[in-house]
Amino acid sequence: MPSKTSKKVEKAQADNTAEESFYASPLYDFLYPFKPVGSQWLPEYIIILFAVIIRCAIGLGPYSGQSVKPMHGDFEAQRHWLEITQHLPISQWYYFDLEYWGLDYPPLTAYHSYILGKLGSLINPDWFALNVSRGLESNDLKTYMRFTVILSEVIFYIPAVVYFTKWVGRHRGLSPVGQFIAAAAILFQPALMLIDHGHFQYNCVMLGFTVYAINSLMDEFYAPAAACFVLSICFKQMALYYSPIFFAYLLGRCVFKTGIRFPRFLSIAMATIATFLVMYIPLYIMGSGSQNVLQSVHRIFPFARGIFEDKVANFWCVTNIFVKYKQLFTQQQLQLYSLLATALGFLPAVVLVLLYPKKHLVPFALAACSMSFFLFSFQVHEKTILVPLLPITLLYTSTNWDVLSLVSWINNVGLFTLWPLLKKDGLALQYCVCFAFCNWLIGNFSFVTPTFLPKFLTPGPSVSSVDSNYRRRSLLPKSIIWKLIIVGSYISMGAIHVLDMFVAPPLNYPDLWVILNCTLGFGCFMLFWLWNYYKLFSLAGQSLQQL
Amino acid sequence: MKSGRQLNKQEQLAAMGTRRFSLWNFWIASLVLKILLIPDYFSTDFDVHRNWLAITHNLPLRQWYYEATSQWTLDYPPFFAYFEWFLSQFVPGTVKQDGCLEIVDKGQFGWSTLVFQRSTVILSEILLFVVLQVFINTSSVTERTQSFVIASSIVLSPAFLIVDHIHFQYNGFLFAILIASIVAAKRGKYLWCATFYSVALCFKHIFLYLAPCYFVFLLRAYCLNFQDFKFKSYKDLIFIVKWRHLFQLGSIVIGVFALCFGPFVKDLPQVLTRLFPFSRGLTHAYWAPNFWALYSFLDKILTVVMLKLPYVHQFTSKFIQPPLIPSTIDEIKQRIAQNNNGTKGLVQDVFFVILPQITPKLTFALTAFYQVLAVIPVLFDPSYKRFIGSLTLCGLASYLFGWHVHEKAIMLAIVPFSFLVACDRRLLTSYMLLAASGYVSLFPLLYENQDFLLKCLYTLVWCMIYFYALRKTTFLSSSVERRVFFLDRLSMIYIYLLLPLVLGVQFLDMMKWRYPLFQKFEFVSLMSYSVYCSLGIIGSWAGLSWLYNFDEPLWE
Repeated sequence: MPSKTSKKVEKAQADNTAEESFYASPLYDFLYPFKPVGSQWLPEYIIILFAVIIRCAIGLGPYSGQSVKPMHGDFEAQRHWLEITQHLPISQWYYFDLEYWGLDYPPLTAYHSYILGKLGSLINPDWFALNVSRGLESNDLKTYMRFTVILSEVIFYIPAVVYFTKWVGRHRGLSPVGQFIAAAAILFQPALMLIDHGHFQYNCVMLGFTVYAINSLMDEFYAPAAACFVLSICFKQMALYYSPIFFAYLLGRCVFKTGIRFPRFLSIAMATIATFLVMYIPLYIMGSGSQNVLQSVHRIFPFARGIFEDKVANFWCVTNIFVKYKQLFTQQQLQLYSLLATALGFLPAVVLVLLYPKKHLVPFALAACSMSFFLFSFQVHEKTILVPLLPITLLYTSTNWDVLSLVSWINNVGLFTLWPLLKKDGLALQYCVCFAFCNWLIGNFSFVTPTFLPKFLTPGPSVSSVDSNYRRRSLLPKSIIWKLIIVGSYISMGAIHVLDMFVAPPLNYPDLWVILNCTLGFGCFMLFWLWNYYKLFSLAGQSLQQL
Repeated sequence: MKSGRQLNKQEQLAAMGTRRFSLWNFWIASLVLKILLIPDYFSTDFDVHRNWLAITHNLPLRQWYYEATSQWTLDYPPFFAYFEWFLSQFVPGTVKQDGCLEIVDKGQFGWSTLVFQRSTVILSEILLFVVLQVFINTSSVTERTQSFVIASSIVLSPAFLIVDHIHFQYNGFLFAILIASIVAAKRGKYLWCATFYSVALCFKHIFLYLAPCYFVFLLRAYCLNFQDFKFKSYKDLIFIVKWRHLFQLGSIVIGVFALCFGPFVKDLPQVLTRLFPFSRGLTHAYWAPNFWALYSFLDKILTVVMLKLPYVHQFTSKFIQPPLIPSTIDEIKQRIAQNNNGTKGLVQDVFFVILPQITPKLTFALTAFYQVLAVIPVLFDPSYKRFIGSLTLCGLASYLFGWHVHEKAIMLAIVPFSFLVACDRRLLTSYMLLAASGYVSLFPLLYENQDFLLKCLYTLVWCMIYFYALRKTTFLSSSVERRVFFLDRLSMIYIYLLLPLVLGVQFLDMMKWRYPLFQKFEFVSLMSYSVYCSLGIIGSWAGLSWLYNFDEPLWE
């Protein structure tokens, strides 16, 4: 006799929606025992603690530029900022020895560095002694720096994500455990873990502020949303990739949704301006007037640099193989073209959000917009993929099998494009482990069923009462074309890794494997971007329930 | 209404049937963490085991226990040496070139040796998962949930993570053999129980602490038969003994030992001196949180008090005669001076200023006394539950009163206790005390700052999950009303206070360079760990002993 739940599951399978996100995945299996009403408070702490534990474990590995003299890498840059902000007056922050990791992020990064630097100096002032501490490397310093990232993430990123999943779960009627499963899937996103805690950066702060802004949009707190988003921009200018959508959504909410709301518009504008002022006034007052502010803006937007640096999986870098832009056009022309291409890329999403400022469209629209920045804009780094990956990963709160599949796929592609960077940092072990682990956790290896391996090696769910007849499947969408594309891309990724590991590239193309990596990444990002647009438009007339 | 509830129960049972209770997912998840921990800190034990690999690989068998180039001589029983020899057969070429198999004073090795040895720990630990999976699969359907909770609590235990995968040892693999003997005892397969136990003993002689319990249990349960016993004359005593069983058992145990020590039969004295180095001090490099930690703490306090307030000494010496305490204040000062320039640094011995000195004989007498107390009930009632209970108490007694105890030996008590705790809710308080204070007492093993967050958070999340899961799944017996709620609350407060202890000690360590006052009290951090944790462990021991000896419904 099929029980009630299994009937529900069958129906869900027929509708191509999972009954719960990541049904029958190991993550589901781990959190299932906490399903009874009395235990629902526990999984929240458990997933957060395990997320922090795995970040600590990743942090045991090397960081970027470890013992690479004389410039080191991002770790040294961050340490250097902790050093200069606490020893120099604000007026010098953006001027001091620009050749050696001059500060090139907005003021909130500087304030953040200042606090962390002061805190670190309480423990050991030698770590951040002015000029003397350059290139300092010690285990305790590394531990402290790793700790600051974890602290920032625990304060800014993790609560925001958990709140978001709870909000979506509540409004879509997911079970509490289902909400935490989605939260865990988002928190265990490998790319962010590896860049922040392996390579070493503080992206989690910027992304966390953005999620706080999204949460405020969901709760219809518009002025706080604007303020949070400004804080995000003031931490790292990369958050500007989201700005057209935030602008359009807030404007749409003031103008199109329920008639013109002038007070709301005013409060949003005031909040935006006030936050910017608060962020920049210290530079103005304690620095040397407007000169200092302009210098900081100049440092943040380095238009003097080329259209792309290193190798990155975007349009300009990949098509540069065939068209040598740098020889054909001047810097100014290229800036104009990239601006036009980017604007063309995000315009449909902006127009749509302006006309239909609906909550469930926000992640899709943010993904479309930031992805078009990543693909077409000027001076993109490979790490910037984290910016589009954030709204995409937030879609793990969906229960639509197609959405889940494509999101997990594009997360894998994003991680794959980070491989050259992580390899250079000596994080190959961490990369492989996280790649496998995060996919296994959300059930991407569930295809390894007794058909392939003896039964005792694939015993399936241990504690969750998943029906034994339930065919576990990996995250692959329904359409056969997408299946082919995704499986094909995975096979090519594997092939590129094998080439990279065992075959030396030809002498006249020493970067061949990296270029292959970028080309594959670019192709997948383009396809995903198009699918995302399709999804955005087809969901425009629908509601949150169809997410 | 009633039928609906019945149906619900049926559904629940059906759902239980589809659950497989496999540890597979836990293995993969913990494997990920273990691999990420490869670059982490490792202790000198890493070089110890590397040296043993080198010794067993390069030298003929008879010289294994004579080799002394490095200070890390082979001091585990021969089975472990064979195991190291076996592992050394699989050392790849690159690892050999890395210096893994060199017999040198101090090992020179790099990344590949690290990866090789860490992976041998990870692979050998699979045995633990297999044994516990067998334990789950052979337990009856009604207690399968409990078995699963117990098994997963052991495989994910912070002790194995800290001691094996960071500090570096092979405890997971060794305890797997011990657990196999426990599982065999549960299923009534006494010969297997004896075999596994003697094999475990031949791998690591620390399991000798549990020997009295095994001896009495196997003797009583397998070799003696009181059922149709009627005393007519002393001749009848012969029929109590099942001679066939006794011979089977004896030949198995002797066979295992022969296999183990046979090749070393001519060098047996040398092997034994290596295995039992009595020259070491009372406490290990730092104070394991046992009874002696409290004892030396009391000594320290008394020293300070008597020096500051001499009339305390006058007062006490009225009751206690001079051989037991120093006769004058001058003698106290003399003893302190002797302690400072004397043997302290050399043999890591503890010298008591006020209280009487502790000899190995005394510790053995105390350990034996409490072990006999724990074993006597098994003599009357050789049930599995009693056996596990006395095993736990034997482990605890040896830990609390033993000579030169390692803090790692706490696993000897925690592992058997895990099997016991599911039987009754009343044991839970005692178990939680032991687990929390035992795992926290392992923290000083990882003194590097980079592990601080990891060890704390892992232990915290383990305690959260398993204290909760055990509370939900342990059987409620009829005697549950007789719990003493005050003590339950007190022990919960004790467990919560571990958190400020750990944080405070870490804060002290971080700030000690800044304030000279802290530097003066550098020993305070280790002392507070051992004193506080020993309180918890002694409390747990007292609670368990009470229930073991005076609570009859629990053991029915």
